[in-house]
Amino acid sequence: MKPISAMALLFVVFLGALFIYVSEDIPDFGDPYSPANRYVNLHISIDAGADGLEDSLRAGVIPEELSSRIKARGFPSPSETEYSVEEVEGGWDVLIAKEELLYPEPEKYYFLKEEEEGNKLVVYRYSIPVRWEEKCEEEIGVPNMVTAGLADYRGYDTLGETTVIFTAGIAVILLLRRRGKL
Amino acid sequence: MNGKKGKIWEENVIIETITRLMVPFIQIYALYVMVGTEGAGGGFQGGVVFAASIVLFTVTFGISKGRKRLPESWNAALNSLGLYLYAGVGLLCIVLSLGAAQYLNYAALPLSQIMSPAHTRALMISDVVEVGIGLTVMSIFASIFFDLAWKGEGKKNKDKNKGDKEVQE
Repeated sequence: MKPISAMALLFVVFLGALFIYVSEDIPDFGDPYSPANRYVNLHISIDAGADGLEDSLRAGVIPEELSSRIKARGFPSPSETEYSVEEVEGGWDVLIAKEELLYPEPEKYYFLKEEEEGNKLVVYRYSIPVRWEEKCEEEIGVPNMVTAGLADYRGYDTLGETTVIFTAGIAVILLLRRRGKL
Repeated sequence: MNGKKGKIWEENVIIETITRLMVPFIQIYALYVMVGTEGAGGGFQGGVVFAASIVLFTVTFGISKGRKRLPESWNAALNSLGLYLYAGVGLLCIVLSLGAAQYLNYAALPLSQIMSPAHTRALMISDVVEVGIGLTVMSIFASIFFDLAWKGEGKKNKDKNKGDKEVQE
């Protein structure tokens, strides 16, 4: 074996070990401390056994107490804008209409979840689009939202994409380059 | 297509001059797209534009001259260098923070003690990660193009490889 082959083998083994480490290091889905979490706990809770709370949520109305407590924490209050409530598995989605002319679809904003312990209704906030819009310049210092998402929030994904292109090139080299010399 | 057998390609002064003029500007534009985070674009797009300039040069001047500008050894090195830059920065974050930070958490680099963590992230993204992606994409696309276009293999054509024009038949 020529020495250059030994070095190449070493590099390949190192790269393989690196990727095994990466796949072990990816945060668990739903980990609240990972950047890619689904929603953030706002630590606002209300007694789920209150009078008519579930009935009003099923009717699509958020009680004024919850609304005002969300507003007191500095987040946009649902009662001030047009909103709708949808029952999903495990809780209710609060959709708030965006003030946009061309894409007036409502945006997922809050998530009300019933917790078994203590019979509380806890308010979560959907994070990914909101966090990209509001926090990307503060957290990453990049004015371009797409680049921030591509290279930081979805860094693992981009690394995988680059690896796919690399693998495609190596496969073409293996299949077509049969000249007996590099 | 001038009717002569086995020769469908010939020099053209206009095409060669225009290519000589355009290739540097295409490459500068590719670097502008690749590096920096203010505008649109990124590593993938910049790498493809850069590979397009190499393809244009090769189509105009022949595959041997094109290979001379981007030798196979350089191409093979650049293939993996980009991926090593990207993955290496991620590993560096773990090593330099003594295992406290996650993989690819750029703010954990010691550079963030000089500037703010946000600026460290921005610098790493724009100058290391995007360039790494761009290098890999550029060299892989060029490599695929050369592999598909290369017809000089086999014993029959081996002697013809020395001449530039005959390879293109």
